[in-house]
This record gives sequence, C-alpha cells and structure tokens, in this order.
Amino acid sequence: MIQAQSLTKHYGSKTAVDAIDFTVQPGKVTGFLGPNGAGKSTTMRMIVGLDRPSAGSVIVNGKPYHEHKAPLREVGVLLDAKAVHTGRSAFNHLRAMAATHNIPTSRVHEVINLTGLESVARKRVGGFSLGMGQRLGIAAALLGDPATLILDEPVNGLDPEGVQWVRKLTKQLAAEGRTVLLSSHLMSEMALTADHIIVLGRGRVIADASVADIIASAAQNTVRVRTPHSAALAALLAQDDVTITNVEQDVLEISGLTVTEIGDRAVAAQISLHELSAVNASLEDAYMKLTQNEVEYRTGDASSHTEVEVAR
Amino acid sequence: MSTQTHQTTQSASLAPFVSTGSGLSFSGLLKSETIKLWSLRSTYWTFSLVVVAALGLAVAMSFALSPETAGFDPATGAAMAVDNAQMYVIVSTTGLGLGQMIVAVLGVLSISGEYSTGMIKSTLTAVPDRLAALWAKVIVVFGFTFLVGLFSVLGSFLVATPILGSQDVTASLFDVDVIMPLLGNVLFLALIAVFSVGIGTIVRSSAGGIATVLGIILLLPTVVSLFSLLVEWVADMMPFMLTVAGSEMIAPTMVESWQALLIVLAWVAVSLGMAALLLKRRDA
Repeated sequence: MIQAQSLTKHYGSKTAVDAIDFTVQPGKVTGFLGPNGAGKSTTMRMIVGLDRPSAGSVIVNGKPYHEHKAPLREVGVLLDAKAVHTGRSAFNHLRAMAATHNIPTSRVHEVINLTGLESVARKRVGGFSLGMGQRLGIAAALLGDPATLILDEPVNGLDPEGVQWVRKLTKQLAAEGRTVLLSSHLMSEMALTADHIIVLGRGRVIADASVADIIASAAQNTVRVRTPHSAALAALLAQDDVTITNVEQDVLEISGLTVTEIGDRAVAAQISLHELSAVNASLEDAYMKLTQNEVEYRTGDASSHTEVEVAR
Repeated sequence: MSTQTHQTTQSASLAPFVSTGSGLSFSGLLKSETIKLWSLRSTYWTFSLVVVAALGLAVAMSFALSPETAGFDPATGAAMAVDNAQMYVIVSTTGLGLGQMIVAVLGVLSISGEYSTGMIKSTLTAVPDRLAALWAKVIVVFGFTFLVGLFSVLGSFLVATPILGSQDVTASLFDVDVIMPLLGNVLFLALIAVFSVGIGTIVRSSAGGIATVLGIILLLPTVVSLFSLLVEWVADMMPFMLTVAGSEMIAPTMVESWQALLIVLAWVAVSLGMAALLLKRRDA
C-alpha cells in the first residue's frame, strides 16, 4: 500500500507535484496516468526516496521507504530502464543488487528465467536493446519478491509478446495481494491491465477512481446512426441535452440518448435506419477529455509542426 | 463474464501480501560493492596497470640507479647518496607515483560511473541509507587498493633484490627502514583512492572528477611552488599539498611524519565529509 499526503515537489520555481493525496491499494493494479511533465515519475521517485519531498509525505507498506529494514523486499521499482551500469553484465548487476539484502544467487537465476534473459544474462548491459533493458529492470524489481511494485512505463520498447507478458504478470502479482502501481502512455494496454486509475495533470490528481467509473464520468457513450434521412432525424431528436454530430454523409453520432430512445422515435416518425449501434467510450477518450486542459507539452496542428511534444 | 465473477470473489477475500526474508546488512553492502568493483573490466586494467608500473619501474630503476646518486636533495635539487634501505624503498615505490594517478581515476569512476549510467538509482533504492552505501564503497575501494599496492611494493622489492644484490646493495624487507616506508606508500595510495571516491561523489561526473583529483594531485603543488617564487610565505603551504604531505609521511623534510599523515587524513576527511553531506542532501 502506498499513501501520499500533501506530497509536494518544487524544482526551483516550478512545482512538479502540487500537494497531492492518494492511496494505492493492495490487491489491484493501479494505473498512473498523465501527460508528460504531469509529475508521475517525480512522484514515483519520491516514493522510493530518490527525491526528497519539498512538503508532505509518502509512506509505503506503513513506513517511509528509508525506514524499512529490507527495502527491496518491500518495494520493487522500475523507474528507468537505464538504471544499470552499462559495463556490467545483467547477471552481475542483479547479483550486486541481491547481495545488499543477502538474497541468494538462486533468486537471481529465478528472475533471469522469469524475465526471459537467460541467453543474454552474461552479456554487458551496454549492448542491450530497449526491450532487454526493460526486462532487466523488471527482473531487478522482482528480485526481493516485494509486496509493492512500482513500474514506470514497463512496456516501453517491449514486443507484443512482452507487452502481454507484463499484463499477465502485473495482474497475477496483484491477485497475490501485492500493490502494483503502473504508469504507461498506452491507454488501450492500461484499460486491459489496470483495475484502478489515478490521473495526474500538472502535478495535481485530476481523477482517482476505478477504470469503469473514469470512463463513465469523463466520456459520454454515443450512438451511431446511419440513415438516408439524417437531416430529418437530426431535427426530430434535437433538444438541449442532446449532441448530434454529422460525422459523414448519412451518419450521425448522437450523445444524450440511448439506442432504444432513438430507435423508438425513428420508428414513430417513420424514418428508416440502416444502422443503429452504441459506441462505448474508451479509456483513451476519457483520458483525453480529463487531461485536455492539463497538457503541458502539446503537439501543434498536424499541418504546422511548430510545437513538438517533449519527452521528459 | 466468468473471469469477472472469479476476480470479485478473489479480491473480497484477498489479504495483502506480506514480504519476508533477509534484509539489509553492512556485510551485504560490502559484498555488493565488491561484486560491483570486480564486475567491471576497468577495475582489472587499472589495477593491472598499477602493478605493471610498479614492477616495471622497479626493474628499470634497479638497473639505472646506484645508491651514490639515487637520492634527491629537496633544497638544492642535486643528487645525493642514500643508504641501502633507502635505495630499496626508492626503487620499490617510484612506480606507485604513477599508481596514485591510476587509482585516483579508479576511485572517481567507482562512483561517477554510477551517476553517468544511472546505476546510482538502483544503488540508492536498494540502500536508502545513502551514507552506508558510501562507506561500503569507500571501505571496498580502500581495501582492494591497499592489497594491490601491497602486492606492487612487495613484488617490486622482490624483483629489485637480485638486480641490486648483484651490485652488493642488500637490505632486509623486515628492516624497519624498509618495511615502514613501503607500507606508508601503500597506505597513501589507498587514501588517494578513497579521496577520489569523495571527489567523484561531490562532482558526479567522470570527466569533472578526474580533472579535479589530477588537478589536486599534480597541478596544485606546481602552482603553489611557482607562486612561492613570487610570494615567500606561499612556500610554507607546500607541506599542506596532498602529494607533498604524502611523501613527507614517508621521508619527512619539512614537517614530522605524523603531521604529514594528519594533513593527508584531513584532505580525505574533507573530501568524504563533503561527499557524505551532499549525497545525503541531494536528490539522486
């Protein structure tokens, strides 16, 4: 369990994390979302004591991270796939990490097998691909068989098999009663993996709810209707709380009414419908809506490449 | 649908996972730092270079020098005669002068390499007690540098013995005038290495760290001696230079040995003290 209270981080005059409160519960996968620069990585670094909070506090499994007698057994962390000396082999890196906690070498072999690194374990990390680096980072996070896992962009650079593996692994770890905090920019993947979502925007928590609630509250479900009488149908359905968008010739997207309501009214008005289907909002839609005013680095118009998204 | 039902029942009865097993220990940190040191190729070649420089110079100097001219009068700069014990010390330790620069680089890299690669994040998450992590590294770097230095001077003594012996210059290793200066040089070598660990921690960059320690070891005494030509009292600062104090420890000319040792220890203490303070304060 991770509990943050008024957690704040200033870098000079810039506030990276602005007095946030949140709790990450054990037994489920919590997705940590937000645009670049929203404060996700800074928050994760403060959880494991790499950065000192400017104000407020954060505790993991009941204590500040640095007070644990066996930190690697409490929290496994993947903050940056490049947190490894490039001149050292994967095996020796893990062995050096394990030695601090007297974790036996047999456990090092276990995590190497678990992450599929057997063939490259004796090679120097400097020659690793991004995906191999991620696997090594995950291996290091699992080394202490920790109660809490914090994974910053774990699927970044992984192949589809690897992405699926991380999804299954995180779900399984959560099912064992562990706390799993996971950040990713891949919304479709997050929708498949996470049970709960915390969204940060400009250093503040802008949403903290289950995936279903996030989607329901932020994005409206719409209904797609295809009819040769689109103008007539639009006129028929027009009212204050209904939004009708003419997405293409003969196709309307309508929000504010259910499939049943639209179908019944069309029949009553004798308007023939060629298609009538509910379009479920995705987590991505909900996320975009939640963060539309919070994006720090926004891409310019597709036509004018003046502003480019800056990766932190 | 069935999966969802399954998950719901599971999470309802789910107890939080509690971790078990061994935790941090200082012996574990020493083991970890030892693995770190010896799992990098640079450690092998830097330490090999120290040994090669020591033995190579011991052989060359045993052939080239004779006790009549091996000494060096610091006041006049002229050659002077030394006794047999001093002769053995000179040929066995001259190579360590090069070794000092090599272990200075090693000391800086042992920590700056962690910063430049990002390894420091792994180190400090595994060991949130940052000072314990630093002291473990300092002890391991000190210990292995001392062993390599010891191997170098003893090896140098051994290779010099037959060469000098053929000129009827003999000395016992266990003569106090031999063994103490040899050990003093080894101690200074190891102290240079940990001084450099401190500088590497302060500067957090390999290039900056190496430039700083080599500047302090090589450049500073030269600058001070140049200024002493212009301003007389600057000459009094010479014994306070790290490398000058290092040689004064073994062959005192300006201050007592114990005073020179204190000066060396003060350099090391300031470097490691600042390193500890900054390491604890700064975000990693």
